[in-house]
Amino acid sequence: MTTQLTSKRYAVEDPAHAIEFCYQQGWTDGLPVVPPTERAVGAMLDAAGLEPDKEVCFITNRQVAVSAEKVAVNAVMAGCLPEYMPVVVAAVEALADPKWGYHGPATSTGGAAVLMIVNGPIAERLSFNSGDNLFGPGWRANATTGRAVRLVMRNVIGTLPGLLDRGTVAHPGKYSYVIAENERESPWPPLHVQRGFKAEQSTVTVMSAEGPHQFYNQLSATAKGVLTSLCDDMKHHASTNGQPQYVVVLAGEHMRTIANDGWSKADIQKFVYENTQNSVAHLKRVERLAGAITPADETTLRSMAPSPEDVLVVAAGGRAGAFSCYIPGWAGGKKSSQSITKVIQERRA
Amino acid sequence: MAGFEILDPTVEPRKQPVTYVPRPDSLEGKRIGLVENTKFNSDKLLIKIGDLLKQEYGAAEYKLWRKHNASVPAHDEIIDEARRGVDCVVAGVGD
Repeated sequence: MTTQLTSKRYAVEDPAHAIEFCYQQGWTDGLPVVPPTERAVGAMLDAAGLEPDKEVCFITNRQVAVSAEKVAVNAVMAGCLPEYMPVVVAAVEALADPKWGYHGPATSTGGAAVLMIVNGPIAERLSFNSGDNLFGPGWRANATTGRAVRLVMRNVIGTLPGLLDRGTVAHPGKYSYVIAENERESPWPPLHVQRGFKAEQSTVTVMSAEGPHQFYNQLSATAKGVLTSLCDDMKHHASTNGQPQYVVVLAGEHMRTIANDGWSKADIQKFVYENTQNSVAHLKRVERLAGAITPADETTLRSMAPSPEDVLVVAAGGRAGAFSCYIPGWAGGKKSSQSITKVIQERRA
Repeated sequence: MAGFEILDPTVEPRKQPVTYVPRPDSLEGKRIGLVENTKFNSDKLLIKIGDLLKQEYGAAEYKLWRKHNASVPAHDEIIDEARRGVDCVVAGVGD
């Protein structure tokens, strides 16, 4: 870092005062933050090879330029190690992609969080959790990188709960919602390779997403059996009928059962797409579509996602236990928000 | 312990001057544009508003447009048509 930091400075007496000061300014997500000193922010920028005035992205609807310095300040506050900075930067870049469509998922009553899926060598190197307690606490990389992105949304972009973040119930993933794919044990190509990246590249995929919906199947020893339970649960979840994409997270036992039957990710995607369709008549009966039921409604099927490829399959979660989950994307339809995969550039020139 | 400094994590949004065109004194004979945000029943509500503007305020006609979805601004075709073909526009966000 050769350029000076330009953020306004505040004098504080000690760390406890700094933490309380950040609360008073409305800079936190409700949890204490790490005081962002010049030294810590500089280390964050240096680790990513970024000058502080580098524009990471521009959020059009808010007319806000997000600088590397502000990302670094918020990453320090979130508790990130400096080497996490490239992951945070890549995710923040993704938020500005028109296909992600910042305004909708950030603001909507639908209460989406930013799901981040980390792939490639960086995931193991930085100890992103892809196993036990997948969405739970205990892993610094998972807990702080997503938190940093949310703090950037709050402090830089102005996505303040109750004002420009109007989630009706939302979910705890808004604190941090980060997983890695278990590439070491997965029998399938990882998500980023499916999406056209090289295995040796590291990426983060961001998706506007509801919370994880867990499902259980300890009875079946076949791919079809396990996935039938998934589809039965998934097709009845009462979301808006307009999810642009889903993520299906398959944990250890289910992953092995499905792979033992020789099923590929494409097979899983096709099966889930075909077996989660509801009749229009059913959706009308349960008051999820409007209008009187016509005879044709009984045989007119409506799919959960636009195509099989919009069911993203990720191998992750603990080795033990007959549980996996699916995650509905945010409700606006594919023209509103699509998942975005960005390369994590570990050190820029 | 000695004091130290911390850095501000926020920014001020870029200032944008926003000016409104002059409001019409009357809707008498005016062509009204209505922008529907795709939310359920928003078309019915706006059609009702259009009818009221005609019946009670003397508007000449109204035209209803549908956005691509609720989360995006009105697309260019709507803006272009509105610029050419109507005198006033009613837009809003309902949920």
